[in-house]
Order: sequence, then C-alpha cells, then structure tokens
Amino acid sequence: MGNYLIISTSNDLIRIMPDRIVYISSDGNYSNLIQADGESRLLSYQLGQIEKMINSQLESEGSLFVRIGKSLIVNRNFIHYINIAKQRIILSDATAVNYTLSASREALKLLKELIEKEGK
Amino acid sequence: MKQNKDIQDNEIRVLGSESKSKHPPKPVLWKCGMFGLITIGMVVASISLLKDKKTESDEPGYFETVPEIMESSQPKIDRLGTDVDPLVRGFTQAIDTIINDIPLRIYIPHNANMTLHVGNVNKEDTSIVFAAQAADIRRDNKKIVGAFVLKGKPLAWGLSKIGYCAIIDDEITIGVADNSPLFESATEKEGYFFRQYPLVNNGKLVENEPKNKAIRRSICDRNGEIMMIESLSTESFHDFAQALVDLGVKNAIYLVGSTSFGWAVDENDDRIEFGIENKNLPPNTSYIIWRRNEE
Repeated sequence: MGNYLIISTSNDLIRIMPDRIVYISSDGNYSNLIQADGESRLLSYQLGQIEKMINSQLESEGSLFVRIGKSLIVNRNFIHYINIAKQRIILSDATAVNYTLSASREALKLLKELIEKEGK
Repeated sequence: MKQNKDIQDNEIRVLGSESKSKHPPKPVLWKCGMFGLITIGMVVASISLLKDKKTESDEPGYFETVPEIMESSQPKIDRLGTDVDPLVRGFTQAIDTIINDIPLRIYIPHNANMTLHVGNVNKEDTSIVFAAQAADIRRDNKKIVGAFVLKGKPLAWGLSKIGYCAIIDDEITIGVADNSPLFESATEKEGYFFRQYPLVNNGKLVENEPKNKAIRRSICDRNGEIMMIESLSTESFHDFAQALVDLGVKNAIYLVGSTSFGWAVDENDDRIEFGIENKNLPPNTSYIIWRRNEE
C-alpha cells in the first residue's frame, strides 16, 4: 500500500491517497486541491510548498505528479487529452472525472513529448 | 533535499524525481547491475572502515523539508467572485453590496494579472481589465509617497505609510509592516511594491489619522481572493475599514480615493469608470493595472 499525502496546518489536516488527487492549482497564496470524487479543497499553502510536500512525503511515488508551469500540478494518470494549439489539457478517467484546464503551449508540448517518450 | 527551483509557465517538472528510487533498474541490465552493485558495495565497505562513520544526521531527514506551517485558515472558504473557466477571456467582475449602510462596489478580476504602472495609462489598451491609482504623490515635490518598486527598479524609499502591497512572481501580498523583506525581494525578482495607508491587518481594523470623509478605495485580500473595493458614498477611513472587516477581508490597504480616475472592464467588455479623468497629473502618478492573461 502506498503512502498518503498529508497536508497539515495548525487547524486542520488533509490525508489523501495520491491517486485520488486529480490536480492542484495555484490560487495566489493558496492552492486548490481537486479530488477524484469532485470535492475541492482550498489549502493555505502555495503551490511550491505543496510540491515540496509531495517530494518529501511520497518520494518516488511523487512521480505520479507533474508540475506544469507556475499554476498547476496534475496527476499523470488523469491526463486524457492535450491540445497544444488550443492550450488545453483535459484530465479525465473516462467516467466521473473530467476537468478542462489551460496551460502554456510550450509546457503542453513538453508534457506531450514526455508522455510519448514514456509510452514507448 | 534540493530546493525546488523556480518554474516558469513554459516549463514542466516531474515530481518526486529527487528520490533515488525513481527509476527501477531495467531488466536487461539486471545482471550487469548486480555485479556492479556487489563491486561497489565492497569498495564502499572498505572505504567506510577507513573513514569516520558518516552520521545519519548528515543526510537530509524525512521531516527536514516539511515547510513551515502558515497561518491557519478555514479549510473551505466562501468566495465572492464566481468560478470562471480559465479559458475565458479576462475581465473584472463588479459586485455591488451594502455593508453597515455603506454601499460598496467590489471589483474582482478574473484570468488577469496585476502589475504597477507609472505615468499615464493608455485607455485604449484593450488588455487592461482594471486600473486604479496606487501610491500617493507628495504635493510639494510630486514624488511618490512611500517605498515603491517598478519591475525590480526602486523609485522611492520612504516610509510614511506602513501598509504595503507586493507583487512578486505573480503573487500578490498585502500587509502591514514598517519593514518588509518583500521590498528587497521585489527589487531582486523584477517585482512590484508600493505603500499606502493600512486598513485591515489580519482581520482587524487599523486606525488612520485622517478623519475626513471621501470616496474610499482599497485593495484587499479576502482568504486569498484579491479584490478592489470602492465605497460609493463618502466615508471616513474608520467606517470604510470596518465595512471591509465585516465583509471578511483579512488584509487591505488603501488606494488613492476621492476623484482619482480608474476603470474596470466587465465580461461584456463594457467599461465601468470611476473618479474624474485628469490628463495633467504628475508623471509619478502610479497605478495598479490588471491585464488579461495572454490569449
């Protein structure tokens, strides 16, 4: 069984299996964590701090996630569709999860290449 | 653990890549790998006998990289602005409300980024979705009041007002402090910084000396949601700041009020202007400018 990601503040604690996270987006000094069940949680951490937590707590399992630019961390398992021209990425499990996000063309091009490379 | 490097919007980064166990050995290399590991193990064992034993504390600890706990906030926070698809063209949402009998107009930019600008603002610039005067100007020498940084370049150093707003790496911080490291940080990272009267500090009203009434404007942080709030009637600093507190604002500083000119562009591309346009303002007149994200 894998590790949980634990995000704790002085007031509350979120404990979640990494594969249940669809993506985490930056919201100024806060971050929004979107769960596979559709729930959204506002975290009082900046995205860079969340990235550090993933790296330190999940170690190699953290490679499940990709940081895309300044504003997004996405779960690679949910990457379903990338359109570089439209700067669009769709995260979906072809059942309940379906989120359309935008990112820079350059970042999406790199992501597409990464997935192509790993798929071979 | 290595520090996370800054990342730009045109870059990606696989997380967890700092771990040594990220890539398991490939099957085809298994035999060679085993032989190599045994050899390396013997060499390492020999060296370790000759050298002082390296303590575990030399290695990064598991808990060492846990970031500092930030000030707590509620896990679920109501937002005033509507949820907007990130693919939608940037605009400013305007919400009218009344708090403590004070009519307020709340401006919330969506899909837009804030910077500072010095000098006249081009009204024809269609990338701008919100503009309002930022720092005050001294009447005598027409210089900017309080410390001011424009895209990393310090233009003023004074400390007459302890409220500040910093924009560094697209993150907006509004706070109250005599000295803020964000001034230096703004100069180092091509950021922006200005000072104004403090209105709300950590959810508490801050009193200010001027007691007159005027149209008031402010830039506010309400649980991470940045917004500009304007009183639609003349108010004292105290009553205006109290209305912001009662609205749930955590941190707020003043923007130039009264007849100072500015505008917002709503989702229908209609312009909402406030104040009185004056083309003869001093060259040091500064503005907060929200521009649409790149399309």
